[in-house]
Amino acid sequence: MKVNVDLSLMDVPGQLVGALEPISANDGNIIGVVHHHDVVIGDRIVVNLTFEVLTDKSLERILEVWKRNDVVVVKMNAVYESYPLQYLLVGDISSSEIEKLTHGLESMEGLESMDIRITGSMTSGSRAAMVTGRVTRHGSLETIERFFRQHAEDGGYMLIRGLE
Amino acid sequence: MMDVLIAGFGVVGQGITEVIRDKQDLFMKRFGERVRIVGAFDRRSMALDPSGLDPTELLSRKLATGQVGKVPVATDIEELLRETAYDMLLEVTPTNIVDGEPGYTHIRTALSAGRHVVTSNKGPLALRFRELTELAARNRVQLRFEASVGGAMPVINLSRDLLMGEEIASIRGILNGTCNFILHRMKVEGYSFDFALREAQELGYAETDPSYDIDGVDSACKLAILANAIFERDVTYSDVVRTGIRGINEEAISLAAEQNKVIRLIGEVSRDKLEVAPRLVPAGHQLSIGGTLNIAQILTDMAGDVTVVGRGAGRMETASALLSDILAIFKDEEARRNATRRAII
Repeated sequence: MKVNVDLSLMDVPGQLVGALEPISANDGNIIGVVHHHDVVIGDRIVVNLTFEVLTDKSLERILEVWKRNDVVVVKMNAVYESYPLQYLLVGDISSSEIEKLTHGLESMEGLESMDIRITGSMTSGSRAAMVTGRVTRHGSLETIERFFRQHAEDGGYMLIRGLE
Repeated sequence: MMDVLIAGFGVVGQGITEVIRDKQDLFMKRFGERVRIVGAFDRRSMALDPSGLDPTELLSRKLATGQVGKVPVATDIEELLRETAYDMLLEVTPTNIVDGEPGYTHIRTALSAGRHVVTSNKGPLALRFRELTELAARNRVQLRFEASVGGAMPVINLSRDLLMGEEIASIRGILNGTCNFILHRMKVEGYSFDFALREAQELGYAETDPSYDIDGVDSACKLAILANAIFERDVTYSDVVRTGIRGINEEAISLAAEQNKVIRLIGEVSRDKLEVAPRLVPAGHQLSIGGTLNIAQILTDMAGDVTVVGRGAGRMETASALLSDILAIFKDEEARRNATRRAII
């Protein structure tokens, strides 16, 4: 889940670090921090923060810590789920096939991130490639699964999907 | 007295014979009746005695001679199944997924003759489920088959009886212990697929021709049975989208491990899904179990996930499932007799 918040912080050193720490402590991933130094309300400044968390529970824990530490959430929006994709390709997978898969995936709507890891000799027919990533729309998962199935069938290699 | 005829006297047939011999006290205590074996046949021989056969003698003869009876098996098995006096057929011949024979003919003939059937044979059920269950219903007898899926793991009776008030959304699980053993050994020992398969064969978990297991045929048969029995679908094993584990290499196992995942052959069935395929399962997930175990996760509307684990094959494990079906028939017969008695009074 990606979360975008405006935080109101005391304009003193150490406040921002204190606001970021609970995110890391709850397995979150900080994507962006924007200071609005020009917006000062009382003794407070506004910081816009974008981060990812794995579960609702993690987000709840972060919000609890902020509340305790006097980090005020002014606005929270653009909260959306993202969904993991995970495929393992096994067999005779050529470099050009990997390239085709990469380009195909990159052109798909809703793809947020992607990582491909390949093992095995380039010349051997026994290779494996792990494709992981996230999509922002659940519907994209079905499209991506069809895409992989079609490629695996045409390329004659095995496709192993994630369980969820 | 419940008279049974045993069709097939291999590992499973001998297992259930032993159980019938050893559980007479249970039958008497619970139902006030005994189970009597009045006939048994294997590929070459048969033994028949309307007054009852001695289970120990049948087992000893099979061990000593390789045959269950002293006389050659009847040339017309259908006539034998129609004309012999018995209440229940225990059909435990080996699975044949090409045409379901000889199990299909045995089951059809017994049901047509008004006999209950308890079977561990996947072939007839994976190919002609609807025909056989309708035949049983028409003849007002029972066809029970807990032993056909997951050995001692009671997934069918659990879903149909104890969870009868639940809406079951899906069942997914590991339905083949041989594949699970191979994948587990590849991960734990770093073995190649061929080496792990050879080990499975040496330990007796895999047949000399392992294709039935490793190509997912066995799992597909079980999945088709679950689809028909629990989701009231009308499918055969060939309707199952099937991928086996034959192509899985060490690189794949290792890449999965890097992501803290294991590869397992997972069967999944729901109203619109019917597939057996290797899947990436998070380590520590219930479906990541190792060894030869079977596991099924039943997703229900009220109880949530109900998971059942058990040994999926073996002489006593399969006999245990057959016994549960024999007892279920006993129970229903008892209820039927009580209802008739009440109606008369």
